[in-house]
Amino acid sequence: MIRFILVSFLLGSFIFAKAQETFITNGTKNKIQNYYAFKNATIFVDYQTKIENGVLIIKERKVVEVGTTSAVKIPANAVVYDLKGKFIYPSLIDIYTDYGMPKVEKDGKSRFSQQFETEKKGAYNWNQAVHPEVESGQLFTVEDKKAEELRKLGFGTVLTHQQDGIVRGTSALVTLANDQANQVMINDKVASHLSFNKGSSTQDYPGSLMGSIALIRQTYYDVDWYFNNKNLPEYNISLAKMMENWELPSIFEVQDKLDILRADKIGDEFEMQYIFKGVGDEYERISEIKATGGKLIVPVNYPEAYDVADPYAAMLVPFSDLKKWEMAPYNLGIIAKNQVDFAITTAGLKETKIFFENLRKAIKNSLSEQDALKALTYSPANFVKAYDKVGSLEKDKLANFIITSSNLFDEKNIVYENWIKGTKYIINDYNILDIRGNYNLKIAEKVYALKVKGELESPSGEIQFINKNDSGKVDTTNISVNIKLQTNNISLNFNPNDDFSKNTIRLSGYVNYNTVIWEGKGQLASGEWLNWSAIKGEKLKEDKTKTDTTKTDTIIVPKMYYPNMSFGFDSIPKAETILIKNTTVWTNEAEGILKNTDVLLKDGKIVQIGKDLVADSALVVDGTNKHLTAGIIDEHSHIAISRGVNECTQAVTAEVSIADVVDCDDINIYRQLAGGVVASQLLHGSCNPIGGQSALIKLKWGSSPEEMKIKDTDGFIKFALGENVKQSNWGAFNRSRFPQTRMGVEQVYYDAFIRAKEYQNAWNAFATLPPKVKETSYAPRIDLEMETLNEILNKERFISCHSYVQSEINMLMHVADSMDFRVNTFTHILEGYKVADKMKAHGAGGSTFSDWWAYKFEVNDAIPYNAAIMNKQGIVTAINSDDAEMGRRLNQEAAKSVKYGEMSEEDALKMVTLNPAKLLHLDNQMGSIKVGKSADVVLWTANPLSIYATVDKTIIEGVIYFDRANDELLQKKFAAEKNVLIEKMLDVKKNGGKTQKPQAKPKQLYHCDTVGE
Amino acid sequence: MNKTKHIILLALIINFQFLISNSFAQVETPAPAQTKSILLMNGVAHLGNGNLIENSVIAFKEGKLTMVADARVVKIDPKAFDTIINIQGKHVYPGFIAPNSTLGLVEIDAVRATEDMNETGNFTPHVRSLIAYNAESKITTTVRSNGVLMAQITPRGNTVSGTSSIVQFDAWNWEDAAYKKDDGIHVNWHRMYNPWTGKANEKYSENVNELKTFFADALAYSKVAEYPEKNLRFESMRGLFNGAQTLYIHTNYVKEITDAVYFAKAYDIKKVVLVGGYDAWMVADMLKDNNVSVMLKRVHDLPINQDDDVYLPYKLPKKLMDTGVLFCLENAGDMEAMNTRNLPFLAGTTVAYGLTKEQALQLITLNTAKILGIDATCGSLEPGKDATLFISTGDALDMKTNNVEQAFIQGRAIDLDNHQKKLFKKYSEKYAK
Repeated sequence: MIRFILVSFLLGSFIFAKAQETFITNGTKNKIQNYYAFKNATIFVDYQTKIENGVLIIKERKVVEVGTTSAVKIPANAVVYDLKGKFIYPSLIDIYTDYGMPKVEKDGKSRFSQQFETEKKGAYNWNQAVHPEVESGQLFTVEDKKAEELRKLGFGTVLTHQQDGIVRGTSALVTLANDQANQVMINDKVASHLSFNKGSSTQDYPGSLMGSIALIRQTYYDVDWYFNNKNLPEYNISLAKMMENWELPSIFEVQDKLDILRADKIGDEFEMQYIFKGVGDEYERISEIKATGGKLIVPVNYPEAYDVADPYAAMLVPFSDLKKWEMAPYNLGIIAKNQVDFAITTAGLKETKIFFENLRKAIKNSLSEQDALKALTYSPANFVKAYDKVGSLEKDKLANFIITSSNLFDEKNIVYENWIKGTKYIINDYNILDIRGNYNLKIAEKVYALKVKGELESPSGEIQFINKNDSGKVDTTNISVNIKLQTNNISLNFNPNDDFSKNTIRLSGYVNYNTVIWEGKGQLASGEWLNWSAIKGEKLKEDKTKTDTTKTDTIIVPKMYYPNMSFGFDSIPKAETILIKNTTVWTNEAEGILKNTDVLLKDGKIVQIGKDLVADSALVVDGTNKHLTAGIIDEHSHIAISRGVNECTQAVTAEVSIADVVDCDDINIYRQLAGGVVASQLLHGSCNPIGGQSALIKLKWGSSPEEMKIKDTDGFIKFALGENVKQSNWGAFNRSRFPQTRMGVEQVYYDAFIRAKEYQNAWNAFATLPPKVKETSYAPRIDLEMETLNEILNKERFISCHSYVQSEINMLMHVADSMDFRVNTFTHILEGYKVADKMKAHGAGGSTFSDWWAYKFEVNDAIPYNAAIMNKQGIVTAINSDDAEMGRRLNQEAAKSVKYGEMSEEDALKMVTLNPAKLLHLDNQMGSIKVGKSADVVLWTANPLSIYATVDKTIIEGVIYFDRANDELLQKKFAAEKNVLIEKMLDVKKNGGKTQKPQAKPKQLYHCDTVGE
Repeated sequence: MNKTKHIILLALIINFQFLISNSFAQVETPAPAQTKSILLMNGVAHLGNGNLIENSVIAFKEGKLTMVADARVVKIDPKAFDTIINIQGKHVYPGFIAPNSTLGLVEIDAVRATEDMNETGNFTPHVRSLIAYNAESKITTTVRSNGVLMAQITPRGNTVSGTSSIVQFDAWNWEDAAYKKDDGIHVNWHRMYNPWTGKANEKYSENVNELKTFFADALAYSKVAEYPEKNLRFESMRGLFNGAQTLYIHTNYVKEITDAVYFAKAYDIKKVVLVGGYDAWMVADMLKDNNVSVMLKRVHDLPINQDDDVYLPYKLPKKLMDTGVLFCLENAGDMEAMNTRNLPFLAGTTVAYGLTKEQALQLITLNTAKILGIDATCGSLEPGKDATLFISTGDALDMKTNNVEQAFIQGRAIDLDNHQKKLFKKYSEKYAK
């Protein structure tokens, strides 16, 4: 019946729609200038102003007046609706949709070589994922099926854009009316949109998250160049469009909370404050997110509980995933509590109908109703500068409002009508008669007990028969009655199968007197017509068996951990004063190994080394029979990296940086701490001759990526040689990218550095031009790749070069010598022993594997004596991991230098402590136990080079990040916490809630040659 | 006769070996058979069966151990031995055994032409590792110089990957190398969860049923001795059903382990070994009840699950030891061939996490031999067994002190030089000039 009403109504509205100004009218002009008045309602004029017993008056798409019913005069030519007991809200706004957008799909063509250039024809950007020229306003069409879904929830206006690519173009603000697009569109260019995801672009670049970041930065520099220069040699529609749209609000879609921090960093560089479209995990880094100053668009698509009934299956689901399920409904409350502006979106919901169900969970978990309403009306409108039109019911705003049965967020609330620009959409007809109740149904002289129940819109009936059998026992049987109600016309049919009728009885009639009396005529199977009537008895009692279980939830926000996973800290730990007593100290300094010595750590530094030290209020650690060393530094690591370690798509990608994509939630950070590692160089992979920049981090478990990065230190960059860069082991289809031989590799370097020098020369030349000449000329374009290469030439950035065979090592040193730079470190350097003298002469260090070989052809001559030979030749030599597993027992790898090449134990330990510190230019603050250096130390249970040694404590800057005894406690604690969550999930299942299948979460481990995300 | 005359200093032997092996092109020459009896005196003997003799006398003749005893309680007649070596302060171990290894089946991981471990097809029980085993692999010589002297050479890939054999590391060719031919067949049990995505394998039951069908056919086939048309796959599996061969099932997840064991039982397979066994400790009783032993996965590995104890792979041996299940260590994984030389250090790590040194040693010697069914002739230092042993100047389970001075395989004094030592020498000499 509802459908019938809707259809008939929509046909009507379609006729009105034809009456728009620029279109011709077919038939008679039908302009309606009446007022519509909605009185006696509870009206939310905006999210914070409520009028009890109010009246709303609209005319021709707009709000005319709103006030209390008693104070406002209703014009004579008004259609008046009495909404006593009902509520009016401004209709809701969702600013993250793709409503009415054509679908974009990646073309499925198989390509047998890399695609270096864009496949988009025309005067557009070089990169296929950068298309600011896409104007969603021009792509928009009305899509009523989708609009209806949103209208049912109470939405009236949405911002829509084609969610594809990195620089995506602009969005349009439209209503959800089923009308001509010209009527529906409010503004065709409202915000510009970005993401890190290249979407349907088939171009190879960018192939990693860090590549996306570099691409966005380069594009902004290009816009700047395009804007500030005349007489440019090219016309670029994309850049022109970005200039044109520069002032629009900019909405950045991210994939997790860390992405918000990453995007904001880009924004800061270009004085651009993004609005972030998050994924619902913002609570995990809320203070950092608050500090960005960005507003948020937040979904309510909570993860489903896991089906953890099988304990062996539950074992595979990490605590962090269970925790995400638990915390998700608290996200909005936490964001609001931290006073971060946010809007709520339906984006990401599997089915839009669970929107309110999920939102109510957020409200039960400390989000205030006012904040919720604000995030659905004022904030989204305000974010896209449309609050002058939508978001409240003030005079002259669009007549976009909803009529509801009760408080919008109430579980029993029914949205009755959704008015868009003065046009009514009935969602649930409040004029539907509620016929539910008990009746005496009388057909001719026969009386039945009829019970009508079920949903308001689709009631069902049953007739109860009470039978007494021979033994006097009473039992009841029910037969169902088919009921149809359309306006007041009612029809019933049923088969009583009794003395009165053995066949179906069909009744038709009319509901009168406020549903109390129904009457009409009916026909028996025999064809005989009879009169019938039904008279209502008592009203049906509400079914109370459905108790609201969620009510028992308390608003105590569950405990969070840093990071929010097993082994996380309760809060971010602080430095302590620690006195380590009576231990064996491997100083890595001239003092050598000191026995029975005390070391005092204070304010994050090593402050005293000696005997019988005392310190007030220090945590005293007994080091008897233990060994204290400087913390292990891994020169070559690929842990803690988000979405791609390699930007493989070009031979030179100096513009990308691992520092942009540090992942502070990698369990391998904790695992390395358990192996005594305090700092790592997170290197770009080795799939191109000039890779990306490194991140130097300390493994401060629980901290944000920025806090982990070592400040004020030299920058590093990855170079690579050999099989990986010439794609030798990539299969038959990768033969297109230059270089494919070691010969080509040399030329890549010459080309890159010669271009870098020319680039610098061009800037220098431009700077010296007389102002007048400058005006008619144009500046060189800032090129991030060239900028980085010039940092190398200017000795501001240093190279760590993946290398294996002697010929290529020799080659790069020749290139460097001739171009006037130095190779700081050859990493892997498995044939370093063959050219140790040349490396020494060049001034390069070596960071090698202890004993790896035979995994590819170029390591055929790798020998485990390599470190010992290089060290003996006076090269600063380190042993690194390149492997999350080996990284946590680098002390054992260092010990192999004692076995292979008879290195002294002190020197062997330096391979993983002082020497990598030197290679990373950190030896002024790390790498040895010396007063004044950072308190980055490890306490071992035995000689650290012995295989029988284990880590007792790992301390970074005076914070105990790993403690063996505490680790045992943490295991127990998190196992218990996990079981609590498992219990909660079992309850969900028991109560019929939705669950998802258990899923393991294997950690993707990156190596040098890992391609893709 | 002057006794000292017979005592040869090991330093001399090593120097001698350097002198005789200056050629670079080929791998070291196999040693001649033992013709003279040898007596090792006063070394710390780690027997491999859990026992230790601080001051030992060990004698071997014609490739077999004739005496393993405490020097303080036996009388020695020096005249009875052709060669007497004083190894006071040094350590003697039975040769370490690397099970589930691909040594000799691959020379360079990334070069396909050098790889012979992974045959095409889903069920290939009939392919035999032995005939592809390269007795002259350059990798093997770097492995035996760390004390690993024997291995089970195992094919990889597929559901039923093929037939393994056990070899010793001093041979001219695979026939010489063979220690126990075709000892068993290897099944890679299906995964319930995708190891990369973590998603449930929706086809798990289907996959397992396919395997069951294959084994049911093989079992039925085995009941008749001769066929006019032979089925090579099923022929190769007869040994599983008559007890001549072992079924090695590779899997780690507890539910898969349970499935696998009951599967093997259902097809009346006499000898079953679990390879991998990350979760084996959780179902130890079931394994014991069904007489299943375990080759435990590489100790130097990361935990499989995010919530696992960060040291769990190091602690698994202790956990399993406490249950009483018979198990040994294996080393499959990344760069497994070259990593075989680190087998001693896998055992060493287990000592840091709960085992005694002699228990740890068992996991790479006698237990391995028992599981492979070769313990009657090797795996420990006991009279009557092969004289497959080595002498290290220090504790061989610790990389800091592992230093193999001399090694014997079935009594043959093997050449401990290798490609890498030669390069070390070559370039040390270059810089010394």
